[in-house]
Amino acid sequence: MNCEVKVKDRIGTINPIFTCQPAGAQYVSIGVKDCIGLVHGGQGCVMFVRLLISQHLKENFEIASSSLHEDGAVFGACGRVEEGVDVLLSRYPHLKVIPIISTCSTEVIGDDIDGVITKLEEGLLAEKYPDREVHLLPIHTPSFVGSMVTGYDVAVRDFVKKFARKGPSNGKINFITGWVNPGDVTELKSLLKEMDIDATVLFEIESFDSPIMPNGDEASHGNTTIEDLVSTGSATHTFVLNRYEGGKAGQFLEKKFKIPAIVGPTPIGIRNTDTLLKKLSEATGKPIPESLVRKRGVALDAITDLAHMFLADKKVAIYGNADLVIGLAEFCLDLEMKPQLLLLGDDNSGYVDDPRVKALQEHVDYPMEIVTNADFWDLEDRIKNKGLELDLILGHSKGRFVSIDYDIPMVRVGFPTYDRAGLYRYPVVGYGGATWLAEQMANALFTDMEHKKRKEWLLNVW
Amino acid sequence: MPYHEFDCSKVIPERKQHAVVKGEGEDLTSCLPKGYLNTIPGSISERGCAYCGAKHVIGTPMKDVIHISHGPVGCTYDTWQTKRYISDNNNFQLKYTFATDVKEKHIVFGAESLLKQNILEAFDAFPEIKRMTIYQTCATALIGDDINAIADEVMAERPDVDIFVCNSPGFAGPSQSGGHHKINIAWINQKVGTLEPEITSDYVINYVGEYNIQGDQEVMQDYFKRMGIQVLSTFTGNGSYDDLRAMHRAHLNVLECARSAEYICDELRARYGIPRLDIDGFGFQALGDSLRKIGLFFGIEERAEAIIAEETARWKPELDWYAARLKGKKVCLWPGGSKLWHWANAIQEEMGVKVVSVYTKFGHQGDMEKGIARAGVGTLAIDDPNELEGHEALETLKPDVIFTGKRPGEVAKKKRVPYLNAHAYHNGPYKGFEGWVRFARDIYNAVYSPMHQLSGIDISKDDYATDKGFVTRRMLSDANLPEADRASPLTGYTGPFDPIAALRAKTDADYPQFERKTSTQAAE
Repeated sequence: MNCEVKVKDRIGTINPIFTCQPAGAQYVSIGVKDCIGLVHGGQGCVMFVRLLISQHLKENFEIASSSLHEDGAVFGACGRVEEGVDVLLSRYPHLKVIPIISTCSTEVIGDDIDGVITKLEEGLLAEKYPDREVHLLPIHTPSFVGSMVTGYDVAVRDFVKKFARKGPSNGKINFITGWVNPGDVTELKSLLKEMDIDATVLFEIESFDSPIMPNGDEASHGNTTIEDLVSTGSATHTFVLNRYEGGKAGQFLEKKFKIPAIVGPTPIGIRNTDTLLKKLSEATGKPIPESLVRKRGVALDAITDLAHMFLADKKVAIYGNADLVIGLAEFCLDLEMKPQLLLLGDDNSGYVDDPRVKALQEHVDYPMEIVTNADFWDLEDRIKNKGLELDLILGHSKGRFVSIDYDIPMVRVGFPTYDRAGLYRYPVVGYGGATWLAEQMANALFTDMEHKKRKEWLLNVW
Repeated sequence: MPYHEFDCSKVIPERKQHAVVKGEGEDLTSCLPKGYLNTIPGSISERGCAYCGAKHVIGTPMKDVIHISHGPVGCTYDTWQTKRYISDNNNFQLKYTFATDVKEKHIVFGAESLLKQNILEAFDAFPEIKRMTIYQTCATALIGDDINAIADEVMAERPDVDIFVCNSPGFAGPSQSGGHHKINIAWINQKVGTLEPEITSDYVINYVGEYNIQGDQEVMQDYFKRMGIQVLSTFTGNGSYDDLRAMHRAHLNVLECARSAEYICDELRARYGIPRLDIDGFGFQALGDSLRKIGLFFGIEERAEAIIAEETARWKPELDWYAARLKGKKVCLWPGGSKLWHWANAIQEEMGVKVVSVYTKFGHQGDMEKGIARAGVGTLAIDDPNELEGHEALETLKPDVIFTGKRPGEVAKKKRVPYLNAHAYHNGPYKGFEGWVRFARDIYNAVYSPMHQLSGIDISKDDYATDKGFVTRRMLSDANLPEADRASPLTGYTGPFDPIAALRAKTDADYPQFERKTSTQAAE
């Protein structure tokens, strides 16, 4: 077997690929309309995540903290959640949903956020806000378990669990995108529209990319409503595009409401998009229209110019969220490229049994490594000390110095991508995403050829 | 009563004492807001935690050190690559960050052996780095790991390494300020006095409370070296771990950011008798006075005067060019702590802008005292501001520009208020004479951006001009300027994109050589 799956062989982390669970839950919370998350923990757990999100999207989002201080750490801090909820409700009249998101500190001291919610529902909400629609939900995201990816997964499930109700079938599918960008949602919705499929999209985040208006009163927020979340219990199917970023919600809906969950594929590349469309067609009975044959053809037309001439045999390392990394690796193989190293930044023991990982192990005919619980040193050490040669790196901005210091071109993809302009606006999924990715990779290689003066004349006649 | 009550905060009445408007004839006794109190939960304050105050603000700018956080990965990840404290060793501390990656089993069974293995792994990965700082986090503080014991154990096993331990978990105090204090005291207790330095000058200083944002420290160090002063250590920007162990041998502590680093200066005075001199690298007048004060202390005023004269002649005309064009522009000065008073007076006096509001996220009442004293009548001063108060203030005050952090900058953007990064700067450094012109340049570029002008036009309602294909900043800034100013042959800042590169290229030969005093003279 050429492809090995291994756990990082060090115990510590040098330059982490992921942040911790509460960040994932916070990213979910901003996708919901009239919702402000209250993170129960130290203030840094919110302040830095808000900064991170604003670095990526160049927008501000509201997330609150219970501001755990020393006294709370010693004597328990449930009272600060109660106060926090009251302060939020009294100052934000439109606010309807407050997820209480736990952190390592408040999980270690054992604050009972479920109990606090019951207390608030029976006390504060009934007494002070009796005529107001308010929903509180607990989201347990201790930082010492999983990663931002599992935090995302848990939070999607908890939102669905809180709101989903079984009604008469609404004829819609649930469409859980996973941790993606506004540009991805736009691309995915255009596929659904072409297929004439009515879907509840979790989450409606196209509006993250919001304008400056002349009157200066715009703000970025998600647009998934409580009604959307309620209706997920009445859907015909649940499509979970990213197994690790919505899989738990799919399982919940299947178990509780007998709504079949269709997991994957992560629709990165032509082939995975084809598969998604076939599955959508099978589930809904809707045919794949001619318009998508054309759209696919436009993508193939663009990629054909690039694949066997420029991309073939290029060695690439990919890191980030597992579904993204695997989807990109699959697409790279279709592009005749040679992914050398896949870095998955958390210790999810399920990765090794992922059928996509097993398929890579079965079919890759050159040495390839997949490392779980990986950090950036797994990449840099191989380049610096172990002779790994790469033509390209695919991943998010936190790995930028590996690219810079070893002069390896890099295409920014994933979360966060703060060191390149506007990437959140472009898809990596669907046919549009396939084109964009292939062209970004080709342009990165072209720039590198010119920068290093390596066959830069090749492009004279292309 | 000068307290300012925000409409959005009427429901949390305790906030009323955290904001004041400085009235006519009022002094600090009547208009000092409360400060550095616990945050109101759910208020969406902008404060960070004591861990970040210790690790991110003060610890990490130290350049030749493995900075390892003992906890889950998030604390490390979140505070990594969010600031611009560069260093002259290829930015090691900016590029590499370490986490012990505490998982659930460690929470249950303890994480001390995990920590030890981490320390060894980190030193093995970077064999050229022999110094380490370990930062406690919320999780490992609560489970009670004895980090100091592990550090001692490793130092005993590996005599060539030295480890500093900072116990400042995120919850330790109302804001990041608690962490500043903790790391100051921990450093002097654990490390100062453990190494003897080589003294090469008659005039030896520690440069304290300076974090080398975009090269600030290197600019200031250049002035000190031109005065023949030995900068023994910098606490901590571009600072070296071993240099900082020798802080006790300086003749003078030159203190820049008093908010974050006065504690160590005060301890150095108490324990080693080293006097503290507060200085200010921002603004021609304040910087000139600072160099003069240092010169005066050592009896080398003429060296300071020579630098001030040379730099002023070179850069003042360019500063004045901007000042003429920035006159009367309204500024919200909303930084973290000390810049509210470092900048408040200087930008008004030297750039002609009007500060309409100051705020501090983690400052204490002392910072507000200085800020309000330096601000004009009508200034709105806010302690620990929150999201809605920020909105309300921007809508009421309608500033032309705001100096604040990256994320609040996005809030301002939507309100059509251009922002400059007060923590990490836009195109700094901002310290030094040239740096101050760069700051003025950045303000000018923000305020007079043609894009900013376009964003105010509602094409569906407004009657807008169609006779131009473009507008330049000059067309906007000079429209109502007096003829004398408009006629200036200058065009603004003329320095390079990166002024630090030239400083780093300098060698000892590029600095004046001053005669050392004989030992008897020195003794007198």
